[in-house]
Amino acid sequence: MSRLVRIELLKLRTTRLTFGLLAIGTALCALDAVLRDARAGNGRLPPLDTAAGLSNGLTVTGFAMLMAWVLGVTMASGEFRHQTATLTYLQAPARSRVLRAKMIASGIVGLAFGAGGAAATTAVSMIFVAARADPISVGSGTIVRYAVGAIVGAALLAALGAALGSVIRGQLGAVIGVLVWALFVESIVGGLFNSIGPFLPFTAATTLAGARLGGGGFGYSGSSTASPLPFLAAGLLVAAMAVAIGAVAAQTTTRRDVT
Amino acid sequence: MSTIEVRGLTKRFGTVIAVDGLDFEVDSGSVVGFLGPNGAGKTTTLRVLLGLVAPTAGTATINGHPYASLPDPVRLVGAALEASACHPGRSARNHLRIHALAGGAGPRDINRALDAVELSDVADRRVGGFSLGMRQRLGLATALLHDPEILILDEPANGLDPEGVRWLRRTLRGLAGEGRTVLVSSHILAEVAQTVDRVIILDRGRLVTQSSLAELAARGRRTVRVRTPESRRLLDALGAREDIDARGVGDWVHVSGATAEEVGLLAARHAIPIFEATTDGADLEDAFLALTNGASGQPIRRGGADQSPEEACR
Repeated sequence: MSRLVRIELLKLRTTRLTFGLLAIGTALCALDAVLRDARAGNGRLPPLDTAAGLSNGLTVTGFAMLMAWVLGVTMASGEFRHQTATLTYLQAPARSRVLRAKMIASGIVGLAFGAGGAAATTAVSMIFVAARADPISVGSGTIVRYAVGAIVGAALLAALGAALGSVIRGQLGAVIGVLVWALFVESIVGGLFNSIGPFLPFTAATTLAGARLGGGGFGYSGSSTASPLPFLAAGLLVAAMAVAIGAVAAQTTTRRDVT
Repeated sequence: MSTIEVRGLTKRFGTVIAVDGLDFEVDSGSVVGFLGPNGAGKTTTLRVLLGLVAPTAGTATINGHPYASLPDPVRLVGAALEASACHPGRSARNHLRIHALAGGAGPRDINRALDAVELSDVADRRVGGFSLGMRQRLGLATALLHDPEILILDEPANGLDPEGVRWLRRTLRGLAGEGRTVLVSSHILAEVAQTVDRVIILDRGRLVTQSSLAELAARGRRTVRVRTPESRRLLDALGAREDIDARGVGDWVHVSGATAEEVGLLAARHAIPIFEATTDGADLEDAFLALTNGASGQPIRRGGADQSPEEACR
């Protein structure tokens, strides 16, 4: 299995898309943090010298997680788009092992996406705090927990994406589906049915990183009566979704003829 | 000993039967052309053999095992199935690095494979900028990377220019000389005729024939060319026999379906003077086309009273 994981990691390292998505995710996290920190204390956003205000900027790592999700989808569905599945399955005829290797490898690369997002939001927020000479109102332990949450959340979403990309072979459709789901569907469903919101995959992953429900950057707005899932529960939920979709892929798509 | 064995192989895609009860074998160390027109079922058969497509019925084994059950398949079998099966954003070298990792090959093996297909100069360019011919070469480099005993190549000449085809023939001859077992598919016999020991010919998913090139050539219809001042009379005399095709070209009459002796005797019976008679060698391509066209024209059924595939093609 470790050889298959190394093969998948090498595939990810040797395409520009991986680095492009990492750069986009990190840059969007930084931009999101700039927009929130710049407006902190104005209107509805609490000021930066409060824990809530600073956390607003620190926890907007959703874009990095979204790009990790997209990476997982593209790395799996790309095998069919570029017809490289033929060579992949010649190298490793046990297709379920290939699927597991893809999920593990995309999860490993997803760690970097989460780390990039967390580094960007933390750096931007600290620059704003320093520029305004505000106190750092969030403890270092909490900042580390946010970062770990972003890293774990991005890794889990990347693995979920690899499973999803194995089920939905059409790459463009799968990527658009993931973007629409994260940016719109979860927002609408979570807004209409508050109790369901914490259990939606993208929302659950962003709450791992400390984001408020609907506060991950693209979640539903307005008041919510629900509370985010505890860290472990949110992590296990997204992991369970990845495993479940991976099981569906193992039973369906990966058994199909490669023509 | 047979390295590759296909027994009773059938593959249906919905209502379409791509391969229908196919049987053949490829002996160890032989170079075999897997021939047939487009849509004959060659690619499907090779994909079943390589575990990429599940058969509806029958078996396809390599060294007695299905591909998926081979202990180290990439080191035993090198396959080049489609030229476009490379990520366009990846360099040729990186494409090979990934395949190298699968079978434990190193950088030296990658360089050797690139040299073998004459792609060393462009090894660090992205595959998306490659011509179809360059991609074919990269596919062959991938197949050769682990120095496998068995090579399975699907239409490797597709998209190659004449120089590329010449290069492919040289390469296949080299591989044959190294004692490897090679199964190479093509829809054009001439592409592989100079390299292969035997041919397996398919049409509409069925085996038409499995023979040596010499046996195939023997099936080709020879043409007897006769020069006579009375070509009209000779054509009339030949026209009485339904199994003979004859046409006049000036003083010449071209006859197929009869030997020079038969034409000479017939001419003598009708007191037609013959000034010259020659027999053209049978054309392999004609034999191949006759076999496949013949099979396409009438259904081939198996069973005692039915026509055999070979009979149907004559």
